[in-house]
Amino acid sequence: MYKLIKNQITQKSDTVQRLSDGAFIPFDPENTDYQAYLKFLAEGGTPLPADEGVA
Amino acid sequence: MTYGTVSADIIQSSVPGVSLGAGDATMMKNRIINGAMVIDQRNSGASITANNAAYPVDRFRMDCTQSSKGNCQQTPSATETGYATRVAAGFTNYFAFTSTSAYSVSSSDEFTITQNIEGYNIADLAWGTANAKTVTLSFLAYSSLTGTFGGSLQNSSNTRSYPFSYTISSANTWTTVSVTISGETSGTWLSTNGIGMRIFFSLGCGSTYSGTAGSWASSDIRSVTGATSVVGTNGATFYITGVQLEVGSSATGYEYRQYQQELALCQRYYYLGSPASSSLGIFGRNYATATGYTYPLNYNFPVTMRAIPTITVTGTWTYSNSNSLAPNGPTVNSPSLGFNSAGSGDTYVFSGTTGSFNASAEL
Repeated sequence: MYKLIKNQITQKSDTVQRLSDGAFIPFDPENTDYQAYLKFLAEGGTPLPADEGVA
Repeated sequence: MTYGTVSADIIQSSVPGVSLGAGDATMMKNRIINGAMVIDQRNSGASITANNAAYPVDRFRMDCTQSSKGNCQQTPSATETGYATRVAAGFTNYFAFTSTSAYSVSSSDEFTITQNIEGYNIADLAWGTANAKTVTLSFLAYSSLTGTFGGSLQNSSNTRSYPFSYTISSANTWTTVSVTISGETSGTWLSTNGIGMRIFFSLGCGSTYSGTAGSWASSDIRSVTGATSVVGTNGATFYITGVQLEVGSSATGYEYRQYQQELALCQRYYYLGSPASSSLGIFGRNYATATGYTYPLNYNFPVTMRAIPTITVTGTWTYSNSNSLAPNGPTVNSPSLGFNSAGSGDTYVFSGTTGSFNASAEL
C-alpha cells in the first residue's frame, strides 16, 4: 500500500510513501520503485490521500 | 626508438609484458561493479534471507520467484574448503548462497544472482548494431554440487538473451570460468541511465527461463536447460567472486580497484548514511512562526545518483518542537529532507547516534 506525500514547499504530491517500510518514492520514471508504483496503479490500486499541511 | 602496437582491444607497449587492455592494471575495463564483492553497505557482512530484490552485497541482487529458499551473505567464512585458491587469485570476499530447502523448481520459477549494468557503462559495446563488440565474462565459482551450471546475458526488455553454461567438476573447489560472447547485433540495448545489460547466474530456473547455451534467444532466458539447481538441495552452497565483463575475446586479469573507488561506484546506486558516533550528526534548525512549517535539512550525497532515489529515514532522530522528517523534492544530488515545526519558536532536528537515512537508485 502507498500514501501520497505532499511537497510542503510546492503543495503538490511529488512523492509516494511505501507503507510497508516507510520509504519515500519520488515521481521519477527512472526510479525502479516508482515503476513498481505505476504498476500498482495500472493494476487498479489506489494510494491513500496525502495529509493536509502548510508550508 | 621502438613504439608500442595497438590492436583491437590491447595497447602493447614496447616494454615486454606491459600492456593496457590486458592484465590487472588496466583501468575501468571491467563493466561489472563490485565484482570482487568487497562492498556491502546494507548488511556489513550479515546473512540475509535470499528473497527477491535482496542485496547481500552492493550491486548484486537476488531475483527469486519464491521467498525464503535460501540465505545469502558476503563471505561467511574466510577459510572455506579450498580458500587458498581464491586468496591466491587475490579475492578476499565472495557472494555466498546457501539453500535452506530442497525446492523443486516449477516451469515458471527462477532463482538467480543478478547484476543490472547501467546503459552508460556498456554504450561503447554498440550492441544492437552491426558493429557490436565481442565481450568476455569471467569469474570464480564454487559449489558443494558438481555438474553444469547456467547463466545468461540479456537486454533490458528481456527480448534478447544469451544463455551460457559452465562446469564445476569438483565440489567445494574454486573454479575459474570464462565465457566469450559475440556482440549482439539485434535488439534494443539501452545506452542511458536505464538497464543496459542484465547478467544472471542461475541457482535454479524452470523451463520457461531455460534455453540452449551459446546462441541468442528472443525471449527471457536466464539459464540453460538441464543446469544444476542449487535451490533443489537443502544445504547446497554456491559462491561466486571475481566477476568481470570486458571487451575482447579472452579473459584478462581481474581489474582490482581501490576500495574508495569501488565504494563510489556503488554509491551511484545505493547510499547508506551513517549515524554520528557521538555528536549531533545531521542537524537542522530554524525559528518557526507557527505549527506545520517546513524547514530544510541540508545534505548532499557524496556521489551523483543514477536517478532520483527512494529515501528511507531510519533509526531514531531527535526532534525539538518539530516532527515529520520527509523529502521535499529530492534530486540526484540531495535527499532534500525537510522537518516540520510543531509550534512557534525554536525548532530543530538532529540524527544523533541512531538516526540516519539511506537512498536507493538501483536498477
